[in-house]
Amino acid sequence: MKAVALDGIVLGLQFGLLGVGMTLIYGLGGVLNLAYGQAAVLAAMVVAITLTAGAPALVATAAGLLAAAAGGVVIDRTLMLPVYHQRGEHRVLLGLLLTLGVAFVIDGLLLWRYPTGALRLEIGGEAVPILGVRMRVGSLLASGISLVVGAILLLFFRATTMGRAARSVIQDEVGARLVGINPAAVRTFIFALSGALAGLVAVTRSMTSPVSVTAGFDFTILALIVAVVGGLGSVAGAFLAGVLLGIVSTVSAFYIGQYITTIVLLAATALTIVMRPRGLLGR
Amino acid sequence: MLEASGLSAGYLGENVVEGVNVQVAAGQAVAVIGSNGAGKTTLFRALCGMLPVSAGRVRFDGEDITGRPAHRVARAGLAYVPAERHLFPGMSVRENLLLGAYPGRPDPSAFELVLDLFPRLEERRKQPAGSLSGGEQQMLAVGRALMSRPRLLMLDEPTTGLAPKLARSAYEALQALKETGVTLLVAEQQVPLALSLADRGYVLETGRIRLEGASEDLERNPEVRRAYLGVA
Amino acid sequence: MTAEFDTTVESEGAPLGVSARPPRSLTRAFWPIAVTGAVLALVPLWLGDSRLMMGLAVDALVFGAYAIAFNVIFGSTNQLFLCVGALAGVGGYASAILADTAKLSMTVGLALATALATALGGLLSWIAVRRSLGVIFTGIVTLAFSLSFANLVLGQRELTGGETGLVVAAGEGTFLRERVAAYYLFLGLLVVFLVVFRALERSHIGWAFRALRDSELAAELAGVDVARYRIYAGVIGSAMLGITGAVYAYSDGFISPSTFAFGHVDVRVLVMLAFGGLGTLLGPVVGTVVFAVLDELLIDFGQLRTVVYGLLIIALFLGFKRGAVPAVADLLRRLVRQARSRLGRQP
Repeated sequence: MKAVALDGIVLGLQFGLLGVGMTLIYGLGGVLNLAYGQAAVLAAMVVAITLTAGAPALVATAAGLLAAAAGGVVIDRTLMLPVYHQRGEHRVLLGLLLTLGVAFVIDGLLLWRYPTGALRLEIGGEAVPILGVRMRVGSLLASGISLVVGAILLLFFRATTMGRAARSVIQDEVGARLVGINPAAVRTFIFALSGALAGLVAVTRSMTSPVSVTAGFDFTILALIVAVVGGLGSVAGAFLAGVLLGIVSTVSAFYIGQYITTIVLLAATALTIVMRPRGLLGR
Repeated sequence: MLEASGLSAGYLGENVVEGVNVQVAAGQAVAVIGSNGAGKTTLFRALCGMLPVSAGRVRFDGEDITGRPAHRVARAGLAYVPAERHLFPGMSVRENLLLGAYPGRPDPSAFELVLDLFPRLEERRKQPAGSLSGGEQQMLAVGRALMSRPRLLMLDEPTTGLAPKLARSAYEALQALKETGVTLLVAEQQVPLALSLADRGYVLETGRIRLEGASEDLERNPEVRRAYLGVA
Repeated sequence: MTAEFDTTVESEGAPLGVSARPPRSLTRAFWPIAVTGAVLALVPLWLGDSRLMMGLAVDALVFGAYAIAFNVIFGSTNQLFLCVGALAGVGGYASAILADTAKLSMTVGLALATALATALGGLLSWIAVRRSLGVIFTGIVTLAFSLSFANLVLGQRELTGGETGLVVAAGEGTFLRERVAAYYLFLGLLVVFLVVFRALERSHIGWAFRALRDSELAAELAGVDVARYRIYAGVIGSAMLGITGAVYAYSDGFISPSTFAFGHVDVRVLVMLAFGGLGTLLGPVVGTVVFAVLDELLIDFGQLRTVVYGLLIIALFLGFKRGAVPAVADLLRRLVRQARSRLGRQP
């Protein structure tokens, strides 16, 4: 049971990071980025290719993250422009549909080029006992990275000017303009950041199990689930929801089964929307 | 310091204000008075870049800022406090004020100035802006605008939703502000308050400037007295 | 640099535009359906020999039926139901299981399956309406339903055949399995759906739909019970999906999770309507035809086909608010009007 719970936390931290990227884009731009998972897969493929080409792991990872971030910037500066011109529900709908289109384009291209592509990072080393449970080094590294990045993110949004500026755009875009913040610039930055986060999650995930080129939509749905349950627009909410859902997911998968687990997560999402739309920590 | 010439602006192709000429000299307090729907808010939004201008020019310190996006106008030293305030509700008073100084680092003397002007905000530093009362939110909105040490402060109906006593103390604060050298441009329905603060005033009616002049002259003007001061 | 404030004047009440009122006279209203039916009825004369082509034609009609149903739900009342495939799947799997496993007759199986799909769709509508879920939350909830259904089918392997799919015994040996006969059956279904759509449009229900699309607030103030009409749309559309799915199961003989998957059904329906026009009568049909042709042309492209669909979705939704065909039709109408007035001015 302890092993299952710990595995759940490892998974949960990754869920959290995944959710943060999605929730940020929604909070800032009012856009549900359905191409989010594809950013993760894109990063994974770039990392895999660079590794096969002989580059060291860190360089490969950086390349992957950069690719995903760059992709985010390109999307924000091109396709999203007409979306930002819209307001409210028009914007959400158009953003949803356009990013869906992008998701298909990326998915199709990647599958066409690398039909059997997958990323697997083998982290060597003896299993380490944590609280009496032997944890693989890969899992520990993944968790460690997620924790550190998570902490940095939280700190960034709480205590830095740029982070506060981002939060202000989420809370009142007009107010942000009034104090001299350029919402478009903030949005581009966040798109890049969220792309990098998606890439990072793919990389850490690959330390425990392979990330296949077909995993795009799965990532997107997962990110959506975590973001909604945590509260759209709340970074801390995404983390909290991520960890909770990670534990629930692992426990359920262990005791009941994979398909039911997915249904449980989806039900949690639907219930959140119906019962408490602002999620765990949203406003 | 601020000059609008032939300014026209509106929504969806229809002009709400037409051919407006306004001048605000440095160190002055200028009031724009008019009733509901006269176009004061539209005018102010056009001045600070929140609304596209359909005709005319706006010059700030000699520089043409017509059509410049609002966030760049703010950075140029023109701070606007709209009637709706647009505070960041989930952020504390302190964080709202810190953001007022964007993009620079918050100037400690600016902080001092604001907290001196509005001691109530000091008490409420850690509270989320959304939980403040109407009067406190107004103070916070003005305070936030002051954090960037603006050369010109524009306020749209700062007494909205304030009880008369609070409205008066708001204008006392504005008077104190004026004495520190900040130029003020205020849109106001409550004419006596506005004219008591202002050196000069404009009367805006259905989108056009009807009257302008020194505030004492406006106070004595029979039309103004009849329309806005309730004197027969 | 655009105006950021929400002005008191709503620039456009309807998120996706309002379609025109349907024609008053009975003949003008229904002749397009008759013509469409007649034209499509000729297809077997042309393709009837090839079992493969007829199979594809049947599939095209099935998607056309799905598109009309989605048109009723989303086109009429702006409820973003991202569970078109799933509701059809409920019809399909329920009817197959009831007929094969529970040994019920096909008619009873069909009726119960349709009822189940209708109830689920109606429930989703009711929830969305009761909790005032906007477009995005409705979309997410229905997407969650769609994915849950897929996982349910995958998980209950004994009952549903799981990933490998289910061979449907019911319908074997009947006319349903003949491609040409099935084609005419589905064509009939399609025509019935079109008639229902048109009839709805012309009724007070259609009037209410248009009102609530134009401005929900204004409609409420005018006394339209927006909630009730949304649920009507949800129920009717879901019924259509249920029937289609059920008949498909009996007629095709094989269903699997991918038959009704979101990526397979919902996305195609969206693209079809983006082409043909959301909220219009023949939009789904136009979209079906275009899409069927496109699909065939791209069959050798493999994964690149997905890329093309993605690009199409982007181009279509960027360029046209309610659909490519209506936009082009509008443009043509304007050109004709201009030409006419110019001719009129000539001495």
